[in-house]
Amino acid sequence: MSLTITCPICGKRNGYEFRFGGEERGPRPDEEGLTHEQWCNYVHMRKNIGGIQREWWYHRDGCGSWFTIQRDTLTNLEIKGAEEI
Amino acid sequence: MISKIIPGLSGRKKQRILKKHPLKESYDAVIIGGGLHGIAAAYFLAKERGMTDVAVIEKKYIGFGGSGRNTAIVRANQRTKENLPLYAEGLELWPRLTNELDFNLMFFNCGNLNLAHSEAALGSMRLQVASAQFHGVESELVDAKQCKEIVPILDISDRLTYPVMGGMYHPPGGIVRHDAVVWGLARGAVNLGVHIHQGTEVTGINVHRGSIASVETSRGRISTPLVLNAAGAYSTLISAMVGIRLPIHVLTIQAMVTQPLKPLLNHVVSSGAYHCYANQTLKGEIATGAHMDPWPNYTTDVSAHYIKHQAEALTELMPCLKGVKFMRSWAGLADMTPDMAPIIDGNDHIKGYFMDCGWGYFGFKSGAIIGKYMAEFMATGRCPERLAPFNLRRYEDHKLMGEIANPVNYGPWN
Repeated sequence: MSLTITCPICGKRNGYEFRFGGEERGPRPDEEGLTHEQWCNYVHMRKNIGGIQREWWYHRDGCGSWFTIQRDTLTNLEIKGAEEI
Repeated sequence: MISKIIPGLSGRKKQRILKKHPLKESYDAVIIGGGLHGIAAAYFLAKERGMTDVAVIEKKYIGFGGSGRNTAIVRANQRTKENLPLYAEGLELWPRLTNELDFNLMFFNCGNLNLAHSEAALGSMRLQVASAQFHGVESELVDAKQCKEIVPILDISDRLTYPVMGGMYHPPGGIVRHDAVVWGLARGAVNLGVHIHQGTEVTGINVHRGSIASVETSRGRISTPLVLNAAGAYSTLISAMVGIRLPIHVLTIQAMVTQPLKPLLNHVVSSGAYHCYANQTLKGEIATGAHMDPWPNYTTDVSAHYIKHQAEALTELMPCLKGVKFMRSWAGLADMTPDMAPIIDGNDHIKGYFMDCGWGYFGFKSGAIIGKYMAEFMATGRCPERLAPFNLRRYEDHKLMGEIANPVNYGPWN
């Protein structure tokens, strides 16, 4: 499970230094006219892409910054500049 | 040579457990996933519901996924009123299935001891024990001294980083040979007429006017009115084929075994604080499981991180294991939901589409009994009362379950 992640400040570090922050799922929906279904979709539902996804990470044991990277969930490797689904 | 020594074997033909069948163009039901849940559903459809025209579609081979990678622990001391009766019934099923299938499932009801290392953990166990007892499941709260009496190799001194303060003892739990369950149920299902197609991948599901029409596979199209998604970690990818999103995170979970030792641990021991559970297999190895890797993943790689973690945890709790070598480690995928409870649903909103997924790391102990209820659900079209609380809409209705003591927000980060 050797994952390395490139932190924008600290550079390439061991994946266990970071906390996963969820797959990128766009902005929080507007509260006006928000249905239960839309809210549930944003809060709970996930794509679980088998392939390259954009995702959030937090450098917990480091500088503390939040950032996104691209990672291939089928190989567990960070990817740079891949086209996203 | 052996046939000459053992008279019973002479003239006996070598029998394949799984007969190879041609892939038919249509089946009464198609089950996606040849793991324990899928095969159990197929078996009970044929056995108890008279539906024998059933196909199980498996991408790799049966038991390749979580069914063959778990640490084989079974127990019924769950926390919620929805789960308790289900797991209690499941636990009673193992000896019954052993007879029914004529297959030794190696059920060993050695009992589970779950350790508490804080007042908060003990408090949580108090509720869990009371709930179990209320539902007639044997479970009791024990103090540190009693823990030591149950498992003599345990260190209950204050030398530990997190000293043992007590525990929860559940005598009827234990271990079941996981491969035997898969193979026993598969043989039972095939003997009743079920087709198991290994090495066949589902590539699409076709819905016509709100009902299931057919399933596309790597070996051709199958027409069917009923589909069960029992694909375990891949269930979100299968359900995406019909446009249903699931609240699941797929996480890798690692396990390992030590070299075989003489009998020294005759119970399943687990500790939440140490993220560690261990039992001694009938071969003598100490099988131990770790926590999940805290990010979603479809790989089954293992890491030195957890081998070190397990070695530290095991040698703190049971110091006599110091110096014992790990022989092999492996990983499986767990489909975690935010409330640690599964998603079992059907006919909503696609007629004929059923789901049995989101089991996280509870999938093994529940597999056989859920197969039984799932078969009822699929055959009758009516959701059995036992399964009703596990519907997908509970997330929308803010009715998440309290299977863990923490607030229900389980994710890769905790």
